[in-house]
Amino acid sequence: MTTASEHQMEQAFNQTGDHRRSERISRETISAIAVAILCVAMLLGARFISPSLGSWSQVETVLVLGSFLIVLSFGQGLVILTGGLDLSLPAVITLGGILATNWVGATDPGAWYLLGAVLLVCAGVGLVSAIGIVWLHIPPFIMTLAMSIIVSSALLGYTRGTPRGAAPDLALALMKSKVLGMPMPILFVIGFVILGALFQSRSVPGRYLYAIGTNIHAARIAGVPVLLVQAMPYVISAVCAGLVGIMLVGYSNGATLRMGDDYLLPSIAAVVIGGSSILGGRGNFLGTVGGALLLTTLGTIITAIGLQIGWRTIIEGAVVLIALLLLREELFQKLGQYWRSSQPASESGSITRRKGT
Amino acid sequence: MTFGKFKWAALAALMSATALQSIGGAAAQDQEKFKIYLSLSYSGNAWQSEAANIVKALAATPPYNETVELIEVISGTDPQAQISAYESMIDAGADGIVSFPISSTALNRTIKRGCDEGVLFFMYDATVTESCAYNVSYLTAGFGENTAQALVNELGGKGKIFLSRGVPGNSVDKRHTDGAMHIFNQYPGIEIVAEYYSYWDDRTTQQETAKALAAHPDVDGIWAQAGEYGAIQAMLDAGDRLVPMTGENSAGFRLALADPEMQAKGLRGVSAGSPPAQAGYAFKLMMEILTGQRELEPMNIEYPLPWVPADQVKICEGDVYEDGCNVFPADRVPSSFVSEVLNPELLPEVNIESALNGTPVEGATIQPLPAEVVEAANEPGINCSRCEAPEDLYKLTKVQPTVQP
Repeated sequence: MTTASEHQMEQAFNQTGDHRRSERISRETISAIAVAILCVAMLLGARFISPSLGSWSQVETVLVLGSFLIVLSFGQGLVILTGGLDLSLPAVITLGGILATNWVGATDPGAWYLLGAVLLVCAGVGLVSAIGIVWLHIPPFIMTLAMSIIVSSALLGYTRGTPRGAAPDLALALMKSKVLGMPMPILFVIGFVILGALFQSRSVPGRYLYAIGTNIHAARIAGVPVLLVQAMPYVISAVCAGLVGIMLVGYSNGATLRMGDDYLLPSIAAVVIGGSSILGGRGNFLGTVGGALLLTTLGTIITAIGLQIGWRTIIEGAVVLIALLLLREELFQKLGQYWRSSQPASESGSITRRKGT
Repeated sequence: MTFGKFKWAALAALMSATALQSIGGAAAQDQEKFKIYLSLSYSGNAWQSEAANIVKALAATPPYNETVELIEVISGTDPQAQISAYESMIDAGADGIVSFPISSTALNRTIKRGCDEGVLFFMYDATVTESCAYNVSYLTAGFGENTAQALVNELGGKGKIFLSRGVPGNSVDKRHTDGAMHIFNQYPGIEIVAEYYSYWDDRTTQQETAKALAAHPDVDGIWAQAGEYGAIQAMLDAGDRLVPMTGENSAGFRLALADPEMQAKGLRGVSAGSPPAQAGYAFKLMMEILTGQRELEPMNIEYPLPWVPADQVKICEGDVYEDGCNVFPADRVPSSFVSEVLNPELLPEVNIESALNGTPVEGATIQPLPAEVVEAANEPGINCSRCEAPEDLYKLTKVQPTVQP
């Protein structure tokens, strides 16, 4: 009975030509591609600033420095997809970094399994945020902000201001080793991107996130376990942040109490530049990856320009703004309309005539 | 419930009575404690916490453990918050405030009000232009020009260099960079190919240096403010090559300077810069004035510039700097540990644990400071407002040019 009616519905949709899904996918793909093109254009254009830019070694630098932002904005992207926002990322990054140096690096750098415990603690922080948001209905940015303050204060007390210990071996291996001449963090982040994109776009929990981000009531009626699905991204986001903490410890061989501070706004910016809606329900991870790489490329080039700091930040802000404006879907629609209306159009004429009648 | 309320009321009455008493000037009596506030900008980097820990350790060392009540207040990076913190301290009857000032000008009005009420203000490291406060700082000792000249000497007067600066718009960063540029501008062979802000942080320095290296892999030298160890790591990430560089006092940097392996890769240079020990010196000076052991009108006091060239780095075996050693080994302190936190001459009471945890050394007692204090040169906008800088503001004190422009 059910299957029969589903079948009928599907037929009905196909008859009326339901292209919503395919249209959305293509729009998102367009913005992901556009961001990627912008990145490459900037890298090539940078040759004019310094001949050493645009080389493979610069690409390597961008990918390694961008790997932190990519991992981080995966979690942030999932949270934003459900219409939330995670402001606790800097604190959780620091938590991951400090626990990794204290529990693992300081005592037994080879104890890789303890890194799992570090990530579990981070997941616990995410779970507390999730409980506050989903079950106690505290607004996400208040809840995560509160968690951020609590966690960073606890860390300040725990370390007495001076984080000790060294990087765990596994973190060093992750960030410093090379496989076949390719830096390990780049291979790692490629793997992460593939898994992340599959999870977000192809897995059932991933599709649930889109469903509740688009319309939570409809999703509930459709049988999505709404509470669990709403809670999930905060936990994933905290684990990603903890992972970034461990990666940063491997990269700079030690933890500091403000190691996560520079990443909050970039993590949100990467998601939004990548074509996701800040209101939730729309976006894909490949776009976010493009956004993260765009921001990192921009940073690399800006550092190389010998301008005053004021001008540099103005340029940085302007490029981000231009990227956002260029990637608005209204622009694509308008371009499409313009293209259609510039056809020797009998069709558009007929529409006006019909309106007239 | 009622009892609980009563207890709180009694406690409150007691507290306000104590506050009234100390406002009334009874603080100097033997049984009363001096009420000293330690006002920090932010905590969370090694420098700030070490400076605070030294003051805490000194305040817990006899006889101050009996005579000083030390209260720590952290107000973040916003001058407004520190202004209101100062206001509360003055109102609470502070005898003295030891502070890292966030702004050299914004706090002046509040400080003046405190001075009028008899509060002593001792600023360490950063300074204020209000003349009723004591500034204890190495700033006027010429970090920028001396390190720049040392780098120029290492490079033989020519080469491409990076400037790794501090926090944009900060008066300390500006003073350092002005001093350095005074030297670099004399040498047409020195080309500054990248200049970036590293926020006095290792990790930021590493990332910014990595970005600059992508554009200029052929750099010949690096002039860095605090965070310098990050620059070394960025160079090692990019290839197996190091260059002459100058930086501040992190343990990581000093140990690298003394490491034959790093030297073989090309690392040479000098470790100088901001000492957290200034906080302890400021606190001890203030206490000597409060206890009547010293007469000193408000003035700008210069703390000597630490200066450790690569060949003078010596690793310590004990808990203190003795026999000329000046850095702790990597298994005792993190690489970001600021080495100039102890000073055998000015702060013999404290050791490495004091710097890390704020704990006093068992059996130690407060030792008197040398009678003489060094007056700092006037620097408009840094330690005075209506004043003129001396003509030889950027004169070299630690190093002489070995190459001519």
